[in-house]
Amino acid sequence: MTTSISSVAPAAPPKMPTSADMQLLSFAQSAELSVHDLYLKAIDSGMLSADEKTMMQMFLDHHKAYAQSLNGLLGKAATNTRNETMYSTYASQLTSAQAMSRVLQSVENTMVATHTDILSSLEGLDGATLVASIITVEARHAAVFGTLPNANLNSALDNTASSLAPNASSVTTTSETTVAP
Amino acid sequence: MNNFNNLTRRELLKISGLSIAGITFLASCGAQSGVVESANVASAGTVPPTTALGEVVISDTVLLRTAASLEYNAIDTYTKVLDSGLLTGEYASLNDAIKRFREDHVGHAAAINALVVGYGGKAHECANTRVNNLYVDPALKLITADGNADAARDAVALAHALENLATQTYQGIVALLTEPRLRGNAMRVGQDEARHAVVLAQVLNPGYSAVGPTTDEATGKAKVASVPSAFGGLGVIQVSLGAANSEGVKTNLSMETPSLNGLVYDEISC
Repeated sequence: MTTSISSVAPAAPPKMPTSADMQLLSFAQSAELSVHDLYLKAIDSGMLSADEKTMMQMFLDHHKAYAQSLNGLLGKAATNTRNETMYSTYASQLTSAQAMSRVLQSVENTMVATHTDILSSLEGLDGATLVASIITVEARHAAVFGTLPNANLNSALDNTASSLAPNASSVTTTSETTVAP
Repeated sequence: MNNFNNLTRRELLKISGLSIAGITFLASCGAQSGVVESANVASAGTVPPTTALGEVVISDTVLLRTAASLEYNAIDTYTKVLDSGLLTGEYASLNDAIKRFREDHVGHAAAINALVVGYGGKAHECANTRVNNLYVDPALKLITADGNADAARDAVALAHALENLATQTYQGIVALLTEPRLRGNAMRVGQDEARHAVVLAQVLNPGYSAVGPTTDEATGKAKVASVPSAFGGLGVIQVSLGAANSEGVKTNLSMETPSLNGLVYDEISC
């Protein structure tokens, strides 16, 4: 018997980002660069322990990798500039080691919400698969802040952050109980 | 000009010997009579019969039904862990977290099935049989076997592996879902599974130094990491379970996200 695999989709989605995708991916890249700079500010503050610093350096490297990967998709359309509004909103709150953990967790949760919102509008598969692979790790970053230095289950698992994505899908919450079609 | 008349007896024997060797070599290269030619690599023994997959359609609803089935794998596994009282000693305090995870998976299953129904499919409200047969059942058998002194820790390790499997499944179907909105909805759940995995990873390997990837110096194996890589991976998930053998090595179980023979097609029901 011959195996036949097909899809009943109305049309196969494009592989490369569409022009609308490019705008969303460009926003995602600017947000990633802001998060990178926020971690840099935290690390350079001199208020973190060696362990915290090492962990945050790893997270910083991750965000740099995300910005670079998005740059690869955007090509010449990449602006490679951070989202100044986002940066300044959070940078002023990095006032102590404790505040940094709380604020950076909030930043990670916001990135998860933003990327998920963007993903709901992306047509091209290359952009969608990249953003999906970023979402799972940023959720892990946020959860780590909920488990260290002290475990707080609700803090690790709950995400009430709102998306910053411009003109993305109408879904603005990340609660799993609201994924109605 | 024929010079055969001038050949010596020694030369004639030499030529005939070479001819026989050449014929034997050529014969060994050709097809043998009575042997059916096969494109397969030569093998010994009897090849078990295989059942070819029928004509199948991988639609968005099939992918979502598969994701829903994994939610039930997690729900059922957590129920078994809780009911059997496996989490004892230093892991007893994890019971409340496991209950929360189970509640989350119940919510995920309902949300994903609502999407399935909304897109014209039929809700799938039971566990993935293939995942149970290949991974969950053998794992629970190893964990609950007599002589396993690490049953509680192994139960947490299995939970961690299943959460990673669910995370990878949602991330993996993003590349296959045709509807952008469904991709976003899949990852709303997928990111939640990743958070579960982090909580369990911190139980298995706690502390700041265990957040990133590390290696056990004694065994050379990768330790459990809360954030194993910069990007979400889609590779094989390995978990060591059960009583250690005489060399101190536990049974290794490799898990992969459902493939063509593990998807919950429209004609499959509970």
